[in-house]
Amino acid sequence: MKSTKSTKALLRLLALLMAFVMIAAACGDDDGDDGSADDGDSAVTDDAGNDMADDDMVDEGMDEDDMAEDDMAEDDMAEDDMAEDDMADDFSAAFLYISPIGEAGWTWAHDQGRLHAEEATGIPTFFVDSVNDGSPADIEAAIRTLVADGHDVIIGTSFGYMDTMEAMAAEFPDVVFEHVSGYKANETNFGNTFGKIYQPRYLTGMIAGAATETNQIGYVAAFPIPEVARGINAFTLGAQRVNPDVEVVVQWTSTWFDPAIEGDAADALLEGGADVIAMHQDTTSAGLAAEAAGARWVSYNSDMSEFAPDAYLASAIWNWGPRYAEIISSAADGSYVPGFYWGGYEDGIVDIGSIAADVDADIVAQVEDIRQQMIDGTFAVFSGPLFAQDGTQLLAEGEVMDPGMLLGEAFFVQGVVGDIG
Amino acid sequence: MIRPVLVRREVPVRGGQPLAFAVGLLVALLLGAVLLLVAGDSPMEVYRRMLSASFGDLEAFSVTLNRAIPLALAGLAVAIAATMGLWNIGAEGQILFGATTAAGIAQIGEGWSGPVLILAMIVGGSIGGALWALGPAAAKAYIGVNEIITTLMLNEIAIRLIRYLINGPWKDPEGYGFVQAPALPEQSFLPNLFQRTHVGLLIAIAVLAVIGLMVSRSSWGYELRVAGSSGATATYAGISLKRKILTVLVLSGTVAGLAGGIELTGNATRLTETVSNGYGFAGIIVAALALMRPSGVAAVAVLFGAVQVGGQSIKAIGVSDAVSTVLQALILFGVIAAGVLIVYRIEMAEPAGHKARSTSRVRSA
Repeated sequence: MKSTKSTKALLRLLALLMAFVMIAAACGDDDGDDGSADDGDSAVTDDAGNDMADDDMVDEGMDEDDMAEDDMAEDDMAEDDMAEDDMADDFSAAFLYISPIGEAGWTWAHDQGRLHAEEATGIPTFFVDSVNDGSPADIEAAIRTLVADGHDVIIGTSFGYMDTMEAMAAEFPDVVFEHVSGYKANETNFGNTFGKIYQPRYLTGMIAGAATETNQIGYVAAFPIPEVARGINAFTLGAQRVNPDVEVVVQWTSTWFDPAIEGDAADALLEGGADVIAMHQDTTSAGLAAEAAGARWVSYNSDMSEFAPDAYLASAIWNWGPRYAEIISSAADGSYVPGFYWGGYEDGIVDIGSIAADVDADIVAQVEDIRQQMIDGTFAVFSGPLFAQDGTQLLAEGEVMDPGMLLGEAFFVQGVVGDIG
Repeated sequence: MIRPVLVRREVPVRGGQPLAFAVGLLVALLLGAVLLLVAGDSPMEVYRRMLSASFGDLEAFSVTLNRAIPLALAGLAVAIAATMGLWNIGAEGQILFGATTAAGIAQIGEGWSGPVLILAMIVGGSIGGALWALGPAAAKAYIGVNEIITTLMLNEIAIRLIRYLINGPWKDPEGYGFVQAPALPEQSFLPNLFQRTHVGLLIAIAVLAVIGLMVSRSSWGYELRVAGSSGATATYAGISLKRKILTVLVLSGTVAGLAGGIELTGNATRLTETVSNGYGFAGIIVAALALMRPSGVAAVAVLFGAVQVGGQSIKAIGVSDAVSTVLQALILFGVIAAGVLIVYRIEMAEPAGHKARSTSRVRSA
């Protein structure tokens, strides 16, 4: 019996230590940093092609008068004894983020959009960060809390929120749900938003193509899905515009957000002969790797020049603010219509960040010229003659890629080195 | 020099469990209040909200119970193994493989009726969990490989397996190129019992009751405990250790796999590599809080679920994720620490020699 007791005591001690360690592990898991897709593909349905063209956003003409009275908020608040804050009569919006906001990257860019929308509309906004997009239980609990709090618009900024938001939209028909980067919507209160980030990627490709001396650019990429492929292709076409001999080598990471893996992938590309690194990732790791190796870097999501000042060349950035202001104000005045929003340069939802001071003035001028054409809607990134990776011709001279092909882009263009699964 | 040590009580404090629980909670909340004040949040508002989000009304409670179901089953899985002194650190992987098996069955049985499909998925999930635990169980039983390491490593393999499946053979053909598993058929969704608590609650209660009784009342359970205390005694008494290790670990895996099947049918819309949501690891804490007794797992799981739901809810009023996480950990740790004091008492002890017997198996505080 003596040994029994001491064994058990030891076990219990171990259990406690273990528990302490595991609390951290379990809670950490909730963050879902390692999780699956967060900024995936754009709106894709049968009619998505039609929607994207005529879905211009006008955020100036909103009407703030109507937003005060919302009959639903009252009902929701009735059964909610905790928030007797004066929210009941106010219109408000809430955001769901996959990771902490941080200082740069995907979630940071969305939060900038939230702040812009709040300022532009005068409607208060809230957010819940670190909601694991692979766990429907977590997503649902977060959304239920927000609805119970009386929020009238819920915007989810990670791909994995899609199914749960669809279900919640059906359950709460008086709340507007907008999902970013998915492919689902309904007729009444569930819409989808994404944008043509491939346009600024083309411009950053021009800058990178001019900067490379080895004619090899490394591209750290998350998942082989159309959105990422489209970015790689646009970037490559931009690089080829100024440097016909350039090659873009793709390294897949199978993660959106993993500093260590992203850094390792960049290192591998640099060792393989690349002297410029581009990326479709959420952290600054690839940039730090380029900085350490004395190479150059093109960032994504937000202007990350301060994180790797010597390596930084340019960035393809999101500007969510005007779109969020439009969603929130239209929901407030009752004019919200769900759909598949796929904005581009002409809408101001995407842009290029700061350009490094040492980039050749002639290249900067060319970039500025194309950028203006994109804003005017007169420049198509994917136009003929266009060849696939294996040399087959995709578009003839004068042809422009149709939206269906653009949205389902599961191929690489000539000049890209790598497999698309 | 006199220093405080923990000494095992001859008899645990009578009725001490609720008392320790209350004291532990109170201390944790006070410490948490300091943390919140430092972070610039109002403790009263935060605590009220945590309480109301987890127990405030029937809907809140149903969300808490929804979360308590996988936590209880994962905790039970760990506790069963611990009864025999074995550590199943792999409940996370067993949940994932259970969910994977259930998702596979959903693909085969797309045309089956709801009840048949759900039953097949839940039973299949349990079998998947059992299979995932079989390797470590056999390795432990027959060649003495440490089960902590094997079960732990299989967690990562389960994640990779799902990643492979949804990137390849199970990639959603209707997913527009997205890397995701196909959506589960509508009829595979477990019906709700009330609000957001699904029928899985009844399954969990039944399994907890049956296995709790098996461990505490049956001769099988008695043999387990004997084997856990002393392998030599058990062997002398004619108990086959090999078979015991094998059955206990596989049963543990079965229960974790059941949690995976229930979670997939009860909450998920498709298989993901994070569908287990950390429940397998949290189950270790649940089991530890329940002092490794299957009977205590249910109550602890509800508490744990409430802390998680409450902790999530306060982020919507501006409490940072980090503060929320630390607060959750504080509450659980407070209750664990108080739980220890039911079984141990603090004594001021002389250094070496004196009272050597009682200090030999305790740690200095």
